[in-house]
Amino acid sequence: MKFRVEHTDGEDEVVIRCREVTPKIERLLDILEGDGVRLVGVTESGAKSVIAIRDILYIESVDGRTYVYTEQEVVRVDFGLSQLIEYLDDIRFFRCSKSMILNIDKAKFLKSLASNRIDVTMVNGEHIRISRTYASDFRKRLRGE
Amino acid sequence: MREVKTEITHKVPLAKRLLRALATEVDIELKACLYFFCILFYYSMYRLGIGSDNALLLHMAEMILVVYVMGYVQYFLMERFDQGEHFGTREILYMLVCVAVHIGVSILCNWYDKNLWVTVGFAAYLLVVYFSVYLVYKVLRMKDGKELNEDLRAFQERRER
Repeated sequence: MKFRVEHTDGEDEVVIRCREVTPKIERLLDILEGDGVRLVGVTESGAKSVIAIRDILYIESVDGRTYVYTEQEVVRVDFGLSQLIEYLDDIRFFRCSKSMILNIDKAKFLKSLASNRIDVTMVNGEHIRISRTYASDFRKRLRGE
Repeated sequence: MREVKTEITHKVPLAKRLLRALATEVDIELKACLYFFCILFYYSMYRLGIGSDNALLLHMAEMILVVYVMGYVQYFLMERFDQGEHFGTREILYMLVCVAVHIGVSILCNWYDKNLWVTVGFAAYLLVVYFSVYLVYKVLRMKDGKELNEDLRAFQERRER
């Protein structure tokens, strides 16, 4: 596969010309859409695990260790939350507390609580509370402000 | 179902703490206004009922003071029961304590000339007021929740496109 990079003004644009969309091109599209990014970590049993970021429910920091939660597994990664939020650099990931990053795409239902707090029901039924300190930023994020 | 509760443990900057304290004060004062107007309405009806078209400024000052102090008590000691998610035994207990304090002050300060039936009516009226405030906040939260879920769906749809 040939490729070339042209420097132009204006918005970045990627054009793929191909006879058919092969698995290789699909992977490339995944990366361009940001879904190809993966995190590597260790499961509870000590096995190495690779997680696609679209599968992440939330990321939590407990006692200085960072855990990534998906519907299937919990994986420990060697990054701090600040590093991860920079690395993921994605609008869907919201720092919902000092110790947690939430994937908004995996939120199923929101409930407004007293004192401007928000209860988030995730797709797997878990509940995450967003305190009022973070709630106003969360609302802004949802509205695209 | 596992519940993940997130609490903020880091040190909050002074400016943010001041803003939070201001928000708390505004919250307490707004509710104090709400309760004061409710009590004032009952008091005014009583005054009209006994053929007087005057209300004592001293009584009003006492009302403001008691609702303001009780605002703080409700906020810091009674878990803001009138804004709570549920209205269970504990909330009923808090409500009864608040009503008892108001009744005590009304007798002590002679708002209703120590008239037993008017005082009993005042207690019943306060119970209705507290429960109505709880319902109002509940409805407001339901409306807010609906808007939040609409925003969430819109966010997720924008991302899918």
